Amino acid sequence: MSWETVLDVLLATSVLGVAVATLFAPRRTSSVMLFLVLGLLLVLVWTRLGAPDVALAEAAIASGVTGALLVSALTRRSAAGSAETPRGGWRSAAAELAVAGTGGVLLGGVLVGAARDGLRPDRLGDLALDVDGVVDQPVTTVLLDLRALDTLLEVAVLAAAVLAALAVHREGESSIGIRSDTRPVLVSFVRLTTPVVLLLTGWFLVAGSSRPGGAFQAGAVLAGAALLLLLTGRKDLVPTGRWLRPAVVLGLAVFLAAAVLTRLVEGGWLDLPASWGVAVVLVVETALVVSIAAGLTVLVALSRPRYVDATASTETLGGAAPSDPPRRQTEELT
Amino acid sequence: MTGPELFLALGAVVTLLGAVRLLTTPDSMRRVVALYVTGAGTLLILVSLSATGPGEPDPVLQALALTGIVITISVTGLALVLVRRIEDGDDDD
Repeated sequence: MSWETVLDVLLATSVLGVAVATLFAPRRTSSVMLFLVLGLLLVLVWTRLGAPDVALAEAAIASGVTGALLVSALTRRSAAGSAETPRGGWRSAAAELAVAGTGGVLLGGVLVGAARDGLRPDRLGDLALDVDGVVDQPVTTVLLDLRALDTLLEVAVLAAAVLAALAVHREGESSIGIRSDTRPVLVSFVRLTTPVVLLLTGWFLVAGSSRPGGAFQAGAVLAGAALLLLLTGRKDLVPTGRWLRPAVVLGLAVFLAAAVLTRLVEGGWLDLPASWGVAVVLVVETALVVSIAAGLTVLVALSRPRYVDATASTETLGGAAPSDPPRRQTEELT
Repeated sequence: MTGPELFLALGAVVTLLGAVRLLTTPDSMRRVVALYVTGAGTLLILVSLSATGPGEPDPVLQALALTGIVITISVTGLALVLVRRIEDGDDDD
């Protein structure tokens, strides 16, 4: 047995164990924390399977932003400590595990058999690898050249989800409750990291055309920076209020404009020409970064409970709000 | 059984575990987590399928997985906003 096999088995066992623990943990808090561990393990799995693009997206979007979403949605309920005991007990949990385990092993057997049958030289992926796309990176070529319509619809889904979340939010987007925490160490940390994060965003965006990276990874990293800024009270640097909805739909709008442009010039919807296709891909990706970052930030901000706890002040994005002395606004620092 | 095939089978088990839990858990927040675990299982299937076979990994399946991640986060975000709305509503009554 080679070291690679040992690593695979260890990794698979850990993923399975953590997934079961996540699903059957007795308390919400532990469930969410285990979920974060699961995300990190999955990043290792994607790297092992030779999918660095997916690993980057998982690390930034799935673990990072989803973790922020779940933890922020937890805050108040865990403080209240209510609704945390699952119904049924160990007997029903064991039954569920048995059903899912048996079904899963059977399904896994079928899938492995199907994968072996499907090993032909003319796989779709090999055809995609051979295509002479406008950019060198095969995954970006598939996303923005070969299957651009899929990506367009995906961006539309994200925009629709954010707009729906804004519509469902009772107070409207003018009062997204964010408690700002302006302790000096945290503020200095954010001031130091924000330029680095912006640099990383630009790198992911440009690197996406020749190596792993791209608009989605860049957008998620930028959303992280925006959230850090919001949480430390720098609302002036993040588009809010009036500019929120335009920022959310910008990516979709630019993507549609690119579709119309290619239809008019080249005669095919999203049919990228070899000469200026790279420019179109970069412009669309840049707009996507803004929209994805804005959308993810809004989703995290909206899923925060209205009252974090009885003593903390709730700031609104629209205007000034009281702040308690230990977490005083330190505008003069910034 | 090769490495990618091991993860393919793992993906099937994780998907079903998440789906069963999604159907049986009474807590809405946990349902969101279960939905996410189900999604992670399908991503495992997609990415390990892209790695089976000789040569370069399949970029089409990896692009599908990337699309899936973004769709999942949209759905999770909206679901959590809805959960929050439901639970805030409970407190008002």
